[in-house]
Amino acid sequence: MSILDKFTAVHALKSGLAHTGVDPTTVVFERIISATEGVVEGRSTILAGTNNYLGLTFDPDCIAAGIDAMRSYGTGTTGSRMANGSYSAHGELEAELADFFQVDNAMVFSTGYAANLGVLTALLGKGDIVLLDSDAHASLYDGCRMSGADIFRFKHNDVQSLERRLGRLQDRAGRCLIVVEGLYSVLGDSAPLAEMVKVKERFGASLLVDEAHSLGVLGERGCGVAEQQGVLDKVDFIVGTFSKSLGAMGGFCASKHDALKLFRYISRPFMFTASPSPAVVATTRQALQRLRTKPELKETLWANAKRLYKGLEELGFELGPEVGPVVAVRCRDRESALSDWNTLLTAGVYVNMMLPPATPGGASFLRCSVSAAHSTDQIDTIIKEFAKLRSG
Amino acid sequence: MDNSTEVVAHKLAEILTDYLENNWVGSSPDTPTITAQTNMVTGLQLDSFQVMEFMLEVEDHFDIAVDLESLAEIQTINDLALVVITVQSS
Repeated sequence: MSILDKFTAVHALKSGLAHTGVDPTTVVFERIISATEGVVEGRSTILAGTNNYLGLTFDPDCIAAGIDAMRSYGTGTTGSRMANGSYSAHGELEAELADFFQVDNAMVFSTGYAANLGVLTALLGKGDIVLLDSDAHASLYDGCRMSGADIFRFKHNDVQSLERRLGRLQDRAGRCLIVVEGLYSVLGDSAPLAEMVKVKERFGASLLVDEAHSLGVLGERGCGVAEQQGVLDKVDFIVGTFSKSLGAMGGFCASKHDALKLFRYISRPFMFTASPSPAVVATTRQALQRLRTKPELKETLWANAKRLYKGLEELGFELGPEVGPVVAVRCRDRESALSDWNTLLTAGVYVNMMLPPATPGGASFLRCSVSAAHSTDQIDTIIKEFAKLRSG
Repeated sequence: MDNSTEVVAHKLAEILTDYLENNWVGSSPDTPTITAQTNMVTGLQLDSFQVMEFMLEVEDHFDIAVDLESLAEIQTINDLALVVITVQSS
Protein backbone atom coordinates (compact mmCIF):
# COMPACT_ATOMS: atom_id res chain seq x y z
CA MET A 1 0.00 0.00 0.00
CA SER A 2 1.43 3.36 -1.02
CA ILE A 3 0.27 6.95 -0.76
CA LEU A 4 0.32 6.95 -4.56
CA ASP A 5 -2.13 4.05 -4.88
CA LYS A 6 -5.07 6.43 -4.92
CA PHE A 7 -3.91 7.68 -8.30
CA THR A 8 -4.54 4.30 -9.90
CA ALA A 9 -8.24 5.10 -10.25
CA VAL A 10 -7.48 8.58 -11.60
CA HIS A 11 -5.06 7.10 -14.10
CA ALA A 12 -7.68 4.59 -15.23
CA LEU A 13 -10.21 7.39 -15.71
CA LYS A 14 -7.72 9.46 -17.67
CA SER A 15 -6.68 6.47 -19.78
CA GLY A 16 -10.33 5.69 -20.46
CA LEU A 17 -10.87 9.20 -21.80
CA ALA A 18 -7.68 9.03 -23.87
CA HIS A 19 -8.84 5.70 -25.28
CA THR A 20 -12.04 7.30 -26.60
CA GLY A 21 -9.93 9.94 -28.30
CA VAL A 22 -11.94 12.62 -26.49
CA ASP A 23 -10.48 14.37 -23.48
CA PRO A 24 -11.95 17.78 -22.64
CA THR A 25 -9.33 18.28 -19.95
CA THR A 26 -6.56 18.59 -22.52
CA VAL A 27 -8.06 21.19 -24.85
CA VAL A 28 -5.51 23.85 -25.72
CA PHE A 29 -6.43 27.22 -27.18
CA GLU A 30 -3.45 28.02 -29.35
CA ARG A 31 -4.67 31.55 -29.88
CA ILE A 32 -7.47 33.67 -28.51
CA ILE A 33 -8.71 35.98 -31.25
CA SER A 34 -11.55 37.67 -29.40
CA ALA A 35 -13.90 37.14 -26.47
CA THR A 36 -15.79 34.57 -28.53
CA GLU A 37 -13.25 33.11 -30.93
CA GLY A 38 -10.08 31.08 -30.51
CA VAL A 39 -7.93 28.60 -32.38
CA VAL A 40 -7.92 24.92 -31.42
CA GLU A 41 -5.75 22.46 -33.35
CA GLY A 42 -5.34 25.10 -36.03
CA ARG A 43 -9.09 25.57 -36.47
CA SER A 44 -11.00 28.77 -35.84
CA THR A 45 -13.37 27.91 -32.99
CA ILE A 46 -16.38 29.70 -31.55
CA LEU A 47 -16.00 29.89 -27.79
CA ALA A 48 -19.32 28.91 -26.25
CA GLY A 49 -18.07 27.54 -22.95
CA THR A 50 -16.08 30.31 -21.31
CA ASN A 51 -18.51 32.08 -18.89
CA ASN A 52 -17.40 35.32 -20.53
CA TYR A 53 -20.96 36.57 -20.18
CA LEU A 54 -20.39 40.25 -20.95
CA GLY A 55 -17.51 39.60 -23.33
CA LEU A 56 -15.23 42.04 -21.53
CA THR A 57 -11.95 40.14 -21.82
CA PHE A 58 -11.01 42.17 -24.90
CA ASP A 59 -12.65 45.44 -23.89
CA PRO A 60 -10.11 48.11 -24.95
CA ASP A 61 -10.55 50.18 -21.82
CA CYS A 62 -10.14 47.15 -19.55
CA ILE A 63 -6.96 46.18 -21.39
CA ALA A 64 -5.65 49.75 -21.20
CA ALA A 65 -6.37 49.90 -17.47
CA GLY A 66 -4.48 46.64 -16.93
CA ILE A 67 -1.45 47.80 -18.93
CA ASP A 68 -1.42 51.13 -17.15
CA ALA A 69 -1.56 49.48 -13.71
CA MET A 70 1.18 47.04 -14.59
CA ARG A 71 3.42 49.87 -15.77
CA SER A 72 2.69 51.91 -12.66
CA TYR A 73 2.66 49.22 -9.97
CA GLY A 74 4.52 46.24 -11.47
CA THR A 75 3.54 42.70 -12.34
CA GLY A 76 2.59 41.39 -8.91
CA THR A 77 2.18 42.25 -5.25
CA THR A 78 4.56 39.47 -4.12
CA GLY A 79 2.72 38.83 -0.88
CA SER A 80 -0.45 38.86 1.16
CA ARG A 81 -2.15 42.03 2.28
CA MET A 82 -1.81 41.14 5.96
CA ALA A 83 1.94 40.56 5.73
CA ASN A 84 2.97 42.90 2.92
CA GLY A 85 0.32 45.60 3.00
CA SER A 86 -2.40 46.58 0.56
CA TYR A 87 -2.17 48.64 -2.58
CA SER A 88 -4.59 51.54 -2.65
CA ALA A 89 -6.46 49.94 -5.56
CA HIS A 90 -7.39 46.91 -3.40
CA GLY A 91 -9.30 49.16 -1.03
CA GLU A 92 -10.76 51.21 -3.88
CA LEU A 93 -12.13 48.06 -5.52
CA GLU A 94 -13.65 47.00 -2.19
CA ALA A 95 -15.30 50.40 -1.80
CA GLU A 96 -16.67 50.21 -5.34
CA LEU A 97 -18.07 46.72 -4.73
CA ALA A 98 -19.74 47.83 -1.49
CA ASP A 99 -21.28 50.76 -3.33
CA PHE A 100 -22.42 48.51 -6.17
CA PHE A 101 -24.20 46.10 -3.82
CA GLN A 102 -25.42 48.98 -1.61
CA VAL A 103 -23.86 47.61 1.55
CA ASP A 104 -21.22 48.94 3.91
CA ASN A 105 -18.65 46.19 3.57
CA ALA A 106 -16.77 44.31 0.88
CA MET A 107 -13.66 42.18 0.82
CA VAL A 108 -11.58 41.03 -2.15
CA PHE A 109 -9.93 37.61 -2.48
CA SER A 110 -7.40 36.31 -4.99
CA THR A 111 -9.78 33.79 -6.59
CA GLY A 112 -13.47 32.95 -6.44
CA TYR A 113 -12.63 29.61 -4.84
CA ALA A 114 -10.57 31.38 -2.17
CA ALA A 115 -13.47 33.77 -1.56
CA ASN A 116 -15.84 30.92 -0.73
CA LEU A 117 -13.27 29.12 1.40
CA GLY A 118 -12.23 32.36 3.08
CA VAL A 119 -15.71 33.55 3.90
CA LEU A 120 -17.15 30.22 5.05
CA THR A 121 -14.17 29.26 7.23
CA ALA A 122 -14.17 32.69 8.86
CA LEU A 123 -17.90 32.81 9.37
CA LEU A 124 -18.50 29.27 10.60
CA GLY A 125 -17.00 27.08 13.25
CA LYS A 126 -17.69 24.08 15.44
CA GLY A 127 -21.24 24.18 16.75
CA ASP A 128 -22.53 26.20 13.82
CA ILE A 129 -24.79 24.66 11.21
CA VAL A 130 -24.86 24.87 7.44
CA LEU A 131 -27.87 24.08 5.32
CA LEU A 132 -26.43 23.62 1.87
CA ASP A 133 -28.28 23.28 -1.43
CA SER A 134 -27.59 19.81 -2.79
CA ASP A 135 -26.35 21.21 -6.14
CA ALA A 136 -24.02 23.79 -4.62
CA HIS A 137 -20.59 24.33 -6.16
CA ALA A 138 -17.57 22.38 -4.90
CA SER A 139 -16.01 25.55 -3.46
CA LEU A 140 -19.05 26.00 -1.21
CA TYR A 141 -18.89 22.36 -0.10
CA ASP A 142 -15.18 22.64 0.56
CA GLY A 143 -15.54 25.86 2.54
CA CYS A 144 -18.30 24.36 4.67
CA ARG A 145 -16.31 21.20 5.33
CA MET A 146 -13.17 23.14 6.25
CA SER A 147 -15.13 25.29 8.68
CA GLY A 148 -15.89 22.45 11.10
CA ALA A 149 -19.60 23.30 11.14
CA ASP A 150 -22.26 20.59 10.99
CA ILE A 151 -23.39 20.31 7.38
CA PHE A 152 -26.86 19.26 6.28
CA ARG A 153 -28.11 19.35 2.72
CA PHE A 154 -31.54 20.21 1.40
CA LYS A 155 -33.05 19.34 -1.97
CA HIS A 156 -31.97 21.60 -4.78
CA ASN A 157 -34.03 24.81 -4.90
CA ASP A 158 -36.70 23.17 -2.72
CA VAL A 159 -37.95 25.68 -0.16
CA GLN A 160 -40.05 23.06 1.65
CA SER A 161 -37.03 20.80 2.02
CA LEU A 162 -35.10 23.76 3.45
CA GLU A 163 -37.96 24.64 5.79
CA ARG A 164 -38.29 21.06 7.08
CA ARG A 165 -34.60 20.92 7.92
CA LEU A 166 -34.66 24.29 9.67
CA GLY A 167 -37.62 23.01 11.68
CA ARG A 168 -35.64 19.95 12.78
CA LEU A 169 -32.87 22.19 14.11
CA GLN A 170 -35.28 23.78 16.61
CA ASP A 171 -33.35 26.19 18.88
CA ARG A 172 -30.15 25.71 16.86
CA ALA A 173 -31.67 27.43 13.80
CA GLY A 174 -30.26 30.79 14.90
CA ARG A 175 -26.76 29.40 14.40
CA CYS A 176 -27.58 28.24 10.90
CA LEU A 177 -26.20 29.60 7.63
CA ILE A 178 -28.15 28.75 4.49
CA VAL A 179 -25.75 28.45 1.55
CA VAL A 180 -27.01 28.64 -2.03
CA GLU A 181 -26.01 29.85 -5.48
CA GLY A 182 -27.96 32.57 -7.26
CA LEU A 183 -27.71 31.04 -10.73
CA TYR A 184 -26.59 27.42 -10.81
CA SER A 185 -23.62 26.78 -13.02
CA VAL A 186 -24.57 23.51 -14.70
CA LEU A 187 -28.27 23.86 -15.52
CA GLY A 188 -28.53 27.65 -15.34
CA ASP A 189 -31.55 27.57 -13.03
CA SER A 190 -31.93 30.25 -10.38
CA ALA A 191 -32.62 29.93 -6.66
CA PRO A 192 -36.04 30.99 -5.26
CA LEU A 193 -34.33 33.57 -3.05
CA ALA A 194 -37.43 35.60 -2.22
CA GLU A 195 -39.07 32.53 -0.66
CA MET A 196 -35.84 31.44 0.99
CA VAL A 197 -35.45 34.86 2.60
CA LYS A 198 -38.92 34.56 4.15
CA VAL A 199 -38.04 31.15 5.59
CA LYS A 200 -34.65 32.22 6.91
CA GLU A 201 -36.18 35.26 8.61
CA ARG A 202 -38.88 33.14 10.25
CA PHE A 203 -36.25 30.85 11.77
CA GLY A 204 -33.67 33.54 12.51
CA ALA A 205 -31.07 31.95 10.26
CA SER A 206 -28.59 33.72 7.93
CA LEU A 207 -28.22 33.45 4.16
CA LEU A 208 -25.15 33.39 1.91
CA VAL A 209 -25.68 33.60 -1.85
CA ASP A 210 -22.98 32.88 -4.41
CA GLU A 211 -23.71 35.12 -7.38
CA ALA A 212 -20.73 33.89 -9.42
CA HIS A 213 -22.80 33.22 -12.53
CA SER A 214 -25.39 35.95 -12.04
CA LEU A 215 -23.21 39.02 -11.49
CA GLY A 216 -23.70 41.27 -14.49
CA VAL A 217 -26.34 38.89 -15.82
CA LEU A 218 -29.44 39.33 -13.66
CA GLY A 219 -31.04 42.21 -11.78
CA GLU A 220 -31.69 45.70 -13.02
CA ARG A 221 -28.20 46.89 -12.06
CA GLY A 222 -26.59 43.51 -12.66
CA CYS A 223 -26.14 42.62 -8.99
CA GLY A 224 -27.57 39.13 -9.54
CA VAL A 225 -30.52 36.97 -8.59
CA ALA A 226 -31.04 38.58 -5.16
CA GLU A 227 -31.51 41.97 -6.80
CA GLN A 228 -33.74 40.49 -9.50
CA GLN A 229 -36.02 39.01 -6.84
CA GLY A 230 -36.03 42.18 -4.73
CA VAL A 231 -34.20 40.76 -1.71
CA LEU A 232 -30.68 42.12 -2.14
CA ASP A 233 -30.89 43.93 1.20
CA LYS A 234 -32.08 40.77 2.96
CA VAL A 235 -29.12 38.60 2.00
CA ASP A 236 -26.48 38.44 4.72
CA PHE A 237 -23.45 37.61 2.58
CA ILE A 238 -23.02 37.82 -1.18
CA VAL A 239 -19.99 36.11 -2.67
CA GLY A 240 -18.88 36.07 -6.26
CA THR A 241 -16.06 36.05 -8.72
CA PHE A 242 -14.34 38.45 -11.09
CA SER A 243 -13.48 35.63 -13.50
CA LYS A 244 -16.78 35.42 -15.35
CA SER A 245 -18.74 38.57 -16.25
CA LEU A 246 -15.85 40.83 -15.27
CA GLY A 247 -13.35 38.90 -17.40
CA ALA A 248 -10.57 39.01 -14.82
CA MET A 249 -9.68 36.84 -11.84
CA GLY A 250 -10.44 36.98 -8.13
CA GLY A 251 -13.40 36.82 -5.81
CA PHE A 252 -15.27 38.93 -3.30
CA CYS A 253 -17.72 39.05 -0.46
CA ALA A 254 -20.14 41.95 0.13
CA SER A 255 -22.19 42.23 3.29
CA LYS A 256 -24.35 44.53 5.34
CA HIS A 257 -22.73 43.06 8.46
CA ASP A 258 -19.77 45.02 9.83
CA ALA A 259 -18.28 41.72 11.03
CA LEU A 260 -17.00 41.28 7.47
CA LYS A 261 -14.37 43.93 8.32
CA LEU A 262 -12.91 41.46 10.82
CA PHE A 263 -12.82 38.46 8.47
CA ARG A 264 -9.45 39.57 7.14
CA TYR A 265 -7.92 38.87 10.57
CA ILE A 266 -9.08 35.26 10.75
CA SER A 267 -9.67 34.13 7.17
CA ARG A 268 -6.69 31.95 6.29
CA PRO A 269 -7.37 31.83 2.51
CA PHE A 270 -7.17 35.64 2.67
CA MET A 271 -4.25 35.93 5.08
CA PHE A 272 -1.97 33.38 3.46
CA THR A 273 -2.50 34.13 -0.25
CA ALA A 274 -0.73 36.75 -2.32
CA SER A 275 -3.12 39.61 -3.01
CA PRO A 276 -4.57 40.19 -6.49
CA SER A 277 -2.04 41.72 -8.89
CA PRO A 278 -2.32 45.40 -9.89
CA ALA A 279 -3.32 44.57 -13.46
CA VAL A 280 -6.07 42.19 -12.33
CA VAL A 281 -7.47 44.73 -9.89
CA ALA A 282 -7.37 47.45 -12.54
CA THR A 283 -9.17 45.40 -15.22
CA THR A 284 -11.74 44.28 -12.64
CA ARG A 285 -12.47 47.86 -11.62
CA GLN A 286 -12.81 48.94 -15.23
CA ALA A 287 -15.07 45.98 -16.03
CA LEU A 288 -17.26 46.76 -13.02
CA GLN A 289 -17.51 50.30 -14.33
CA ARG A 290 -18.51 48.92 -17.75
CA LEU A 291 -21.16 46.73 -16.13
CA ARG A 292 -22.60 49.75 -14.32
CA THR A 293 -22.59 52.14 -17.24
CA LYS A 294 -23.40 49.91 -20.21
CA PRO A 295 -26.70 48.11 -19.52
CA GLU A 296 -26.88 47.32 -23.24
CA LEU A 297 -24.27 44.60 -22.66
CA LYS A 298 -26.78 42.72 -20.50
CA GLU A 299 -29.51 43.28 -23.06
CA THR A 300 -27.36 41.85 -25.86
CA LEU A 301 -26.39 38.92 -23.67
CA TRP A 302 -30.04 38.08 -23.04
CA ALA A 303 -30.98 38.46 -26.70
CA ASN A 304 -28.22 35.98 -27.57
CA ALA A 305 -29.24 33.64 -24.77
CA LYS A 306 -32.87 33.61 -25.90
CA ARG A 307 -31.83 33.02 -29.50
CA LEU A 308 -29.65 30.02 -28.61
CA TYR A 309 -32.18 28.52 -26.16
CA LYS A 310 -35.04 28.86 -28.65
CA GLY A 311 -32.94 27.46 -31.48
CA LEU A 312 -31.90 24.38 -29.54
CA GLU A 313 -35.37 23.90 -28.09
CA GLU A 314 -36.88 23.91 -31.59
CA LEU A 315 -34.41 21.22 -32.56
CA GLY A 316 -35.90 19.06 -29.81
CA PHE A 317 -33.01 19.08 -27.37
CA GLU A 318 -33.79 18.65 -23.68
CA LEU A 319 -32.53 21.84 -22.06
CA GLY A 320 -32.11 23.30 -18.58
CA PRO A 321 -35.35 24.63 -17.07
CA GLU A 322 -34.78 28.36 -17.57
CA VAL A 323 -33.85 30.55 -20.51
CA GLY A 324 -30.56 32.24 -19.65
CA PRO A 325 -26.90 32.63 -20.47
CA VAL A 326 -26.19 29.07 -19.31
CA VAL A 327 -27.79 26.67 -21.78
CA ALA A 328 -27.38 23.04 -20.73
CA VAL A 329 -28.18 20.34 -23.27
CA ARG A 330 -28.95 16.97 -21.72
CA CYS A 331 -27.27 14.02 -23.46
CA ARG A 332 -28.58 10.49 -23.73
CA ASP A 333 -25.61 9.09 -21.82
CA ARG A 334 -21.94 9.62 -21.10
CA GLU A 335 -20.81 8.11 -24.40
CA SER A 336 -23.05 10.33 -26.51
CA ALA A 337 -21.87 13.36 -24.52
CA LEU A 338 -18.25 12.51 -25.29
CA SER A 339 -18.99 11.89 -28.94
CA ASP A 340 -21.15 14.99 -29.45
CA TRP A 341 -18.70 17.23 -27.64
CA ASN A 342 -15.90 16.03 -29.91
CA THR A 343 -18.02 16.47 -33.04
CA LEU A 344 -18.82 20.04 -32.05
CA LEU A 345 -15.19 20.86 -31.31
CA THR A 346 -14.06 19.40 -34.61
CA ALA A 347 -16.71 21.54 -36.32
CA GLY A 348 -15.34 24.64 -34.58
CA VAL A 349 -17.67 25.02 -31.59
CA TYR A 350 -16.26 24.76 -28.08
CA VAL A 351 -18.72 23.97 -25.29
CA ASN A 352 -18.26 22.42 -21.84
CA MET A 353 -18.79 18.75 -21.21
CA MET A 354 -20.29 17.99 -17.82
CA LEU A 355 -20.21 14.38 -16.65
CA PRO A 356 -21.38 12.67 -13.44
CA PRO A 357 -20.80 12.74 -10.54
CA ALA A 358 -20.30 16.52 -10.89
CA THR A 359 -23.76 16.95 -12.44
CA PRO A 360 -27.34 17.14 -11.15
CA GLY A 361 -29.20 13.85 -11.31
CA GLY A 362 -26.12 11.97 -12.51
CA ALA A 363 -26.84 13.07 -16.09
CA SER A 364 -24.38 14.13 -18.79
CA PHE A 365 -24.65 17.57 -20.37
CA LEU A 366 -23.14 19.73 -23.04
CA ARG A 367 -23.12 23.14 -21.43
CA CYS A 368 -23.06 26.33 -23.47
CA SER A 369 -22.39 29.72 -21.95
CA VAL A 370 -23.54 32.67 -24.00
CA SER A 371 -21.72 36.00 -24.28
CA ALA A 372 -22.84 39.51 -25.12
CA ALA A 373 -19.91 39.46 -27.54
CA HIS A 374 -21.31 36.58 -29.58
CA SER A 375 -22.55 37.76 -32.95
CA THR A 376 -25.91 36.58 -34.24
CA ASP A 377 -24.01 34.61 -36.88
CA GLN A 378 -22.00 32.83 -34.20
CA ILE A 379 -25.15 31.89 -32.28
CA ASP A 380 -26.71 30.59 -35.48
CA THR A 381 -23.58 28.58 -36.26
CA ILE A 382 -23.73 26.98 -32.80
CA ILE A 383 -27.37 26.04 -33.42
CA LYS A 384 -26.52 24.71 -36.88
CA GLU A 385 -23.77 22.47 -35.52
CA PHE A 386 -26.07 21.14 -32.80
CA ALA A 387 -28.64 20.42 -35.52
CA LYS A 388 -26.08 18.23 -37.28
CA LEU A 389 -25.79 16.14 -34.12
CA ARG A 390 -29.50 15.42 -34.45
CA SER A 391 -29.28 14.46 -38.08
CA GLY A 392 -25.92 12.67 -37.82
CA MET B 1 -29.02 -7.00 14.49
CA ASP B 2 -31.73 -6.15 17.02
CA ASN B 3 -35.36 -5.68 16.12
CA SER B 4 -35.31 -1.91 15.75
CA THR B 5 -32.24 -2.01 13.52
CA GLU B 6 -33.89 -4.71 11.45
CA VAL B 7 -37.07 -2.68 11.06
CA VAL B 8 -35.18 0.46 10.07
CA ALA B 9 -32.92 -1.46 7.67
CA HIS B 10 -36.00 -3.02 6.05
CA LYS B 11 -37.54 0.43 5.54
CA LEU B 12 -34.26 1.77 4.17
CA ALA B 13 -34.11 -1.11 1.70
CA GLU B 14 -37.60 -0.17 0.52
CA ILE B 15 -36.66 3.49 0.09
CA LEU B 16 -33.49 2.58 -1.79
CA THR B 17 -35.39 0.17 -4.03
CA ASP B 18 -37.85 2.95 -4.91
CA TYR B 19 -34.98 5.36 -5.51
CA LEU B 20 -33.18 2.92 -7.79
CA GLU B 21 -36.30 2.20 -9.82
CA ASN B 22 -36.26 5.88 -10.82
CA ASN B 23 -32.52 6.37 -10.99
CA TRP B 24 -30.87 3.07 -11.86
CA VAL B 25 -27.97 3.48 -14.27
CA GLY B 26 -26.26 0.13 -13.71
CA SER B 27 -25.27 -2.22 -16.52
CA SER B 28 -27.94 -4.84 -15.79
CA PRO B 29 -31.49 -3.99 -16.91
CA ASP B 30 -33.03 -4.95 -13.56
CA THR B 31 -32.54 -3.07 -10.33
CA PRO B 32 -30.79 -5.27 -7.76
CA THR B 33 -32.42 -6.71 -4.65
CA ILE B 34 -31.53 -4.67 -1.61
CA THR B 35 -30.82 -6.26 1.78
CA ALA B 36 -29.37 -5.05 5.06
CA GLN B 37 -25.97 -6.23 3.89
CA THR B 38 -26.09 -4.45 0.52
CA ASN B 39 -23.05 -2.22 0.11
CA MET B 40 -24.26 1.00 -1.50
CA VAL B 41 -20.87 2.04 -2.84
CA THR B 42 -19.12 -1.15 -3.92
CA GLY B 43 -22.21 -3.31 -4.39
CA LEU B 44 -24.45 -0.88 -6.24
CA GLN B 45 -21.70 1.42 -7.47
CA LEU B 46 -23.71 4.46 -6.53
CA ASP B 47 -21.69 7.61 -6.96
CA SER B 48 -21.45 10.22 -4.22
CA PHE B 49 -24.22 12.29 -5.77
CA GLN B 50 -26.64 9.35 -5.83
CA VAL B 51 -25.85 8.40 -2.24
CA MET B 52 -26.61 11.95 -1.16
CA GLU B 53 -29.81 12.04 -3.20
CA PHE B 54 -30.93 8.84 -1.51
CA MET B 55 -30.00 10.31 1.88
CA LEU B 56 -32.34 13.26 1.30
CA GLU B 57 -35.18 10.76 0.84
CA VAL B 58 -34.15 8.94 4.02
CA GLU B 59 -34.00 12.17 6.02
CA ASP B 60 -37.48 13.17 4.93
CA HIS B 61 -38.95 9.75 5.65
CA PHE B 62 -37.55 9.54 9.19
CA ASP B 63 -37.78 13.31 9.78
CA ILE B 64 -34.14 13.52 10.78
CA ALA B 65 -31.07 15.43 9.66
CA VAL B 66 -27.88 13.47 9.08
CA ASP B 67 -24.65 15.46 9.16
CA LEU B 68 -22.59 15.11 5.98
CA GLU B 69 -19.61 13.90 8.00
CA SER B 70 -21.62 10.94 9.30
CA LEU B 71 -22.07 9.67 5.77
CA ALA B 72 -18.36 9.02 5.27
CA GLU B 73 -18.41 5.81 7.35
CA ILE B 74 -21.60 4.37 5.88
CA GLN B 75 -21.14 1.44 3.52
CA THR B 76 -24.10 -0.88 3.99
CA ILE B 77 -27.81 -0.45 4.59
CA ASN B 78 -27.22 -1.83 8.06
CA ASP B 79 -24.59 0.88 8.75
CA LEU B 80 -27.12 3.47 7.69
CA ALA B 81 -29.81 1.95 9.90
CA LEU B 82 -27.53 2.35 12.91
CA VAL B 83 -26.91 6.01 12.03
CA VAL B 84 -30.65 6.65 11.63
CA ILE B 85 -31.36 5.13 15.04
CA THR B 86 -28.54 7.13 16.65
CA VAL B 87 -29.80 10.40 15.16
CA GLN B 88 -33.40 9.61 16.13
CA SER B 89 -32.40 9.02 19.74
CA SER B 90 -30.11 12.06 20.05
